[in-house]
Amino acid sequence: MIKSHKLVKAYGEGELQLTVLKSLNVEIEDGEFLAIVGPSGAGKSTLLYQLSLLDEPTSGTVHFDDIDTSLLSQAERTALRLNRMGFVFQDYALLPELTAEENVALPMLMQGMDKKAALKGAGKALERVGLLDKRVNLPSQLSGGQQQRVSIARAIAHHPHVLFADEPTANLDSTNGELVMEAFKALHKEGQTIVMITHEEEYARHARRVLSIKDGQIVGDVRKK
Amino acid sequence: MKKLRALQREYFHALRVGWFLALRQIKRSGKGTTALIIFIMVLTFLNLVVVSGLLLGLITGSFVQFRDAYSGEVIITAAEGMDHIENSPALVNFLESHPKVEAFSPRYGAGVTVLGTLTRLPEKNERPNQLSMRVMGIDVEREEVVTGFSRFLKYGEHLAPGEEGYMLIGANLLKKYSAFADANIPGLDLLDDVDVGSRVRMTLSRKDGGIVRKDFIIKGIVKSKVDEISTRMFISNQELRRLLPINKEQLQEIAVRTDLEYAPRLVEEIKTFMGSYAARVQTSDEAIPSFLRDIETTFGVLGNALSSIGVVVASITVFIVIFINAVTKRKFIGIMKGIGVSPRAIELSYVFQAFFYGFFGCLIGVLLTFGFLEPYFAANPIDFPFSDGILVVTPTGAALRVAILMAVTLFAGYLPAKLIVRRNTLDAILGR
Repeated sequence: MIKSHKLVKAYGEGELQLTVLKSLNVEIEDGEFLAIVGPSGAGKSTLLYQLSLLDEPTSGTVHFDDIDTSLLSQAERTALRLNRMGFVFQDYALLPELTAEENVALPMLMQGMDKKAALKGAGKALERVGLLDKRVNLPSQLSGGQQQRVSIARAIAHHPHVLFADEPTANLDSTNGELVMEAFKALHKEGQTIVMITHEEEYARHARRVLSIKDGQIVGDVRKK
Repeated sequence: MKKLRALQREYFHALRVGWFLALRQIKRSGKGTTALIIFIMVLTFLNLVVVSGLLLGLITGSFVQFRDAYSGEVIITAAEGMDHIENSPALVNFLESHPKVEAFSPRYGAGVTVLGTLTRLPEKNERPNQLSMRVMGIDVEREEVVTGFSRFLKYGEHLAPGEEGYMLIGANLLKKYSAFADANIPGLDLLDDVDVGSRVRMTLSRKDGGIVRKDFIIKGIVKSKVDEISTRMFISNQELRRLLPINKEQLQEIAVRTDLEYAPRLVEEIKTFMGSYAARVQTSDEAIPSFLRDIETTFGVLGNALSSIGVVVASITVFIVIFINAVTKRKFIGIMKGIGVSPRAIELSYVFQAFFYGFFGCLIGVLLTFGFLEPYFAANPIDFPFSDGILVVTPTGAALRVAILMAVTLFAGYLPAKLIVRRNTLDAILGR
């Protein structure tokens, strides 16, 4: 479970200070597929960065299960991200010098898995997203949709607790966008917790819970049955 | 203990992932860029080795020439205050029977005055065309074996063994050939109008008070960067012995060829045989004039100073290369940190890359130095006025420079990586 308490994120100081998140309390249960929606500048991505420990809040806390993440060192936060979280970024964020399978294997290697096992695990993850035949391709040899699916494979290969996705369909055409969403739905069915940012309602409808944010505040929280 | 094990495990994983990333970054980066960086490292290594090596080589070249052209590995001269080597015949017998002595050349010597113009007397207040110099009586055949004397003959012909009435003269004694002829140095006397075929008159004052005068024909002119060749005259030893007074068996110099490593031991053996006061016995290194030693020291300091600048330049080069590499990949560094790759692993990936560049730069540098440059300069020394400059580089010296360059490279690779990696993860990912 991820729980934020009175989460505030502000940029700048004094009169120029801009408060992006205004004392947000969010609870995300295990196994949820949550879409965070809202207009541009609402604070969606900022919230995701706080929840995923990529950024530190100005005030308030984020608890990951029972861990108060504000008490963790940078190294511990990195380790937590490695072992408990997976990330899908808007622009795929694959390392250009690594092949698809090497990109996917990287978190597992960092976890201490031997190279052979990590590449095997990467192969399985790529198979799940339908890209096993592209495993030795470099990112530059893949289409945008394929790169995003490799990115999903990387995010799930090490079986993270939560999958964070920041506008995963923003750079994709509708066909590829749907493919990504289908992949998320399949993962969710298997019990994967997913937290996704999107500004496109057609993709948000795939989630089981939709959290609407406007001006740094929660303005809606809809759970589907 | 548990903490230590966890730390060890973390370091091991970081090393493994660092290596994994570095290998792929090198493998898949532009071949031209990699080649250029390695080329810069090669140049940096050569800068460290060659600049100081050539500076030292200028002087070492003159040491080598001194040994090859004049002293041999061991030079025996008269003891201080004496004008000849005591008990020379016994010493000659000793050297002849010594198994480690490959060859030796006994030389007689005397101070003489040479008159260059015999056809007319000098006018009033006109300086006579004459100068004082040292004449050496050499055994032509033995001298050839020890120093290859005939190679110094630039004009005319060599003396035949035992030939009388002819002499060879050093080029620096003749106005026509001396390198100092145009220098107008006060007190520097040179023979004018003397060339191959000229007749000169040698005057030698004997110890018994007698004066010996004899006319010689210049048969050849010898020239070398070793002063002991270019500023002396040479006649056959038989002739000089006949001209020398009193005890004609007393030699002034003996140049001995032996194994270079063995030379110090041979010196001790000769000293033991002769006694301390009979002669001055030195290895060629010991006999080298002290001013050359001073120049060697100065050039050594200069070489080290230039090398230090080279090291700084090398470190800055590597720093810039890695920094640019890391800055351009800042976003990907952020992503790696974001997905949980430890900063240490990322830093190590850059250190490994720096190691790769440094290692191959040094390897190619070493191969170039020992496989091409050193033999090339040995075969084609740089023609300096006072020596033939060679490249002096020892395996130990090269190894030290490799170690220095590698250490500097690794540090210069680590530092920029550290600077970039420590930046905020999210800022790096978002490129702000």
